[in-house]
Amino acid sequence: MSLRIALVLSILAVLLFPVAPVAAEKADQAASDAGKIFPFDVHQAKLENGLSVVVIPYDSPGIVAYFTVVRTGSREEVESGHSGFAHFFEHMMFRGTDRYSSEEYNDVLKRLGADSNAFTTDDYTNYYIIGPSAELETMMDIESDRFKNLEYTENAFRTEALAVLGEYNKNASSPFLPMWEKLRDLAFQKHTYKHTTMGFLDDIKAMPGYYDYSLSFFDRFYRPENVVLLIVGDVEPEATFKMAKKHYADWKRGYKPADIPTESEQKTRQTGDIDWPTPIRPHMMLGWHIPAFDPSSKDTAALQLVGQLLFSESAPLYQELVVDKQWVDFVSGGPDDHRDPYLFFVFTRVKSEDLVPKVQQTIAEHIGKLQKSAVEAERLERIKKHLRYDFALDLDSPGAVAFTVAEFLSLTGDPGAINELYAQYPEVGPKDIQRVAREVFQEPRRTVVTLSHKPAPQVPEVSSPEVPAGGGER
Amino acid sequence: MRARLQPVLVLTALLVLLVASVPAAQAQEGEMAGDMAASIDLVTLPSSGSPLVAVRLVFNAGSIYDPEGKEGLAALTGLMVGEAGTAERSYKELIDALYPIAASISVNTDREVTVISGETHRDNLEEYLGLLAEVLLKPGFQESDFTRNKEQLLSYLTTTLRASNDELLGLEALQQKIFDGHPYGHSPAGTVQGLADITLDDVKAFYRKNFTQKRLTVGVAGGYPEGFEKKVTGIFAKLPEGAGPSRRELPKAPEVEGRSFTLIDKDTDSVGIHFGYPLSLDRSDADYYPLMVANSFLGEHRTFHGRLMQQLRGQRGLNYGDYSYIEYWESPPFTSNPSPGVPRQQQYFSVWIRPVVPNTAHFALRNALWEVDRLVEKGLTKEEFELTRDFLVNYSKLWAQTLSDRLGFLMDSEYYGMPYYIDEIDRRLAAMSVEEVNRAVKKHIQTARYDAVFVTDDAEAMKEALQADEPSPITYESEKTEDILEADKTIQKLPVRPTAIEIVPVERMFEGD
Repeated sequence: MSLRIALVLSILAVLLFPVAPVAAEKADQAASDAGKIFPFDVHQAKLENGLSVVVIPYDSPGIVAYFTVVRTGSREEVESGHSGFAHFFEHMMFRGTDRYSSEEYNDVLKRLGADSNAFTTDDYTNYYIIGPSAELETMMDIESDRFKNLEYTENAFRTEALAVLGEYNKNASSPFLPMWEKLRDLAFQKHTYKHTTMGFLDDIKAMPGYYDYSLSFFDRFYRPENVVLLIVGDVEPEATFKMAKKHYADWKRGYKPADIPTESEQKTRQTGDIDWPTPIRPHMMLGWHIPAFDPSSKDTAALQLVGQLLFSESAPLYQELVVDKQWVDFVSGGPDDHRDPYLFFVFTRVKSEDLVPKVQQTIAEHIGKLQKSAVEAERLERIKKHLRYDFALDLDSPGAVAFTVAEFLSLTGDPGAINELYAQYPEVGPKDIQRVAREVFQEPRRTVVTLSHKPAPQVPEVSSPEVPAGGGER
Repeated sequence: MRARLQPVLVLTALLVLLVASVPAAQAQEGEMAGDMAASIDLVTLPSSGSPLVAVRLVFNAGSIYDPEGKEGLAALTGLMVGEAGTAERSYKELIDALYPIAASISVNTDREVTVISGETHRDNLEEYLGLLAEVLLKPGFQESDFTRNKEQLLSYLTTTLRASNDELLGLEALQQKIFDGHPYGHSPAGTVQGLADITLDDVKAFYRKNFTQKRLTVGVAGGYPEGFEKKVTGIFAKLPEGAGPSRRELPKAPEVEGRSFTLIDKDTDSVGIHFGYPLSLDRSDADYYPLMVANSFLGEHRTFHGRLMQQLRGQRGLNYGDYSYIEYWESPPFTSNPSPGVPRQQQYFSVWIRPVVPNTAHFALRNALWEVDRLVEKGLTKEEFELTRDFLVNYSKLWAQTLSDRLGFLMDSEYYGMPYYIDEIDRRLAAMSVEEVNRAVKKHIQTARYDAVFVTDDAEAMKEALQADEPSPITYESEKTEDILEADKTIQKLPVRPTAIEIVPVERMFEGD
């Protein structure tokens, strides 16, 4: 390469990144101490059939993110033998209607040049299109059509079941999948969080035979009362609401919530071990039960802070394991917010077999410190600052905003939950951290899964840090 | 369509973004900068309204600059700069300084370049720039950071690639096969032996030689204040000027003879397949764009309308996905768009068949080859061409939605010596005809010569099956159309005729001895 003269593409730049001053001020506001964390105006309406419509104008000329958030995920898979069905059904949503066959649906999206896909989690299923805002009505037309009028043959159903098996196979070469399956299987006895969103392999293999069940799945869950339309970008709220009414008003009610069992308290520590067929550095996963996500609760915010105190790159535990002693390649952890009580979760890859018990011991020691003595207020403030900037830096496109909001919609149905949660952070003090650490990190509520090539050592007893009276039973 | 498996990683990878469409005609002119430091190339993308600032340093210091026997040195040096302590503070102190402002310094070494990049809120720009300068100009080169970063690379080769991700394993193995004996012939992460032989002194020497002004292009974007560009170039003008050419001349890719198969033998339930061959063009060539349209029609990454996807997955349910490429495609999990920051002077055509159950592997390969053959033989119809062209014109605008991505694509375009890539797609496609597309396909796409990689259990049995090349009939659990059944009769006996088949135990991959 020759020594080229510097290029300053200033004209280009102004045209390419047209963030208006208003949007900029708003994003600045997200990072500042005062005010609500979510910097954009949120417009909401509810159609008579119960469909919620959330519109968030965002300065992205010509572009819109169109999300359909179905508040059903693998959490609703209560019938035995049907784990993984919510995800499988997500695939079936692309198999066409009388008006738009699968091919025609794909052709419409192709003509728009849209980025479109879907994914399923424990708590929700999200269908998204990011594309030209001038085609908003086209998006509404094809999306409302399939949610109201999905129609597929048993042949299409059976073929798609094989694609799901293919998806399982592509994931199966990662140690994460079996560890995740094992951890949940051990930690939950009654609740559907016992299985992963992919589902058990045997259930996936049996999927081709459940055509009728799939029809009832659509009938029960794909109903307006259980869905939120989320539209972020270059759109006008009132016109969008009107358009939504035109396309979705005739969608019939009929949501039948699943009867999801309540998990009972885990009373003894659970351990599992997996033998991996290929030589590999040992992996370890830990889980402790935590309460359901609740934006009005200080504890939900406090647990997020605990996650940062222990597992951010700047945390003493991370520094000790990754940087100083170099016993692990990585370690990550934190509370995983869910609609129902779920898990605070830790995942790490250890350098060698003999270090696995030492790593466990170190994690236990750092947790013990949080339980024993109050964390410095200054450290807590640094974390709160980090979280505010992190949130602001993430809101850099309509798609990014929509993915963030969709998470909160899945948890509560209400985009206001974002501001509600972030308003809790200033309220959380060192004593709250100590209290939730004592409540959550109790030995009998812990589940440990290890994975290695050779038979893993027995998980050793880790001496429990002492907890003052009244502080739980760890 | 996918199930989300990774609970804590949440949506960071999904921050799929947005970009305003830019009329091509308005985005072609650049301005010369005045009093910049003489030998540093600078690319700027100011946007006064944005609260964010992105900084990106592209060094021509990728793995093609690894000395023989020290494979992995470029990547390790990158990590010793971006993910290690400085002369003034330990790595822990660096992380502690970045943490409250939620900023980071990330490092990625590909075959030709090492990119060090980051983004910050403009509130914290001074602080961030100070840290970035310290990292680049005063690396600490401490022994403990050296051990840690070397272990990270080793672990990537021996645990991530060999034992945790068959698809990445196949992708890397295919590149090594296609570029065997070429500077592209080893992973940027190096080899087990190469890493073992690298000393801290090697890293220091590599840094001195390659992290120079001459090898550097600086990019800044976003809401930075006036005079910021000058400040940035002033800082990096403190790097040594550097000697020799700013970029390595590369030999041509090796000629592909026949159909050479590598079977990576490992205990796995499914079979992942990649095949491909070198292409003598990149984004700066006129033929790239008609080929881009043809490739999108055949197998646009992670979309549902590609021919391969429709036929192998949609109609036959063979697997989760099937795509094709005309350049190296680095894509983080869950994203559908290409990533900037991996420019290469030499590219390759490839097909990615995601894992299939073993007894359909032979058929799946034949099916994909057959689709490629059909593309060459029949080309696109006018309607197919127009639909695909219109798709790409709009879709490509979604690739550069964030400030960082936009800056990345702009700097890649600099590397290729061409106008902004996303605009170039617009411009080239607007003037294109279906005839050009079909002509480019006939010129560049073929199935007579390629390298293939299978990641498979029982490689011996797979070898025998491929060698025998007997028909591989397929049965379905559901009814298929006459068209599919008729096509299957041809596909199942499509000759593969391997000219060489090598079995490599997975433990031998990336050893480098």
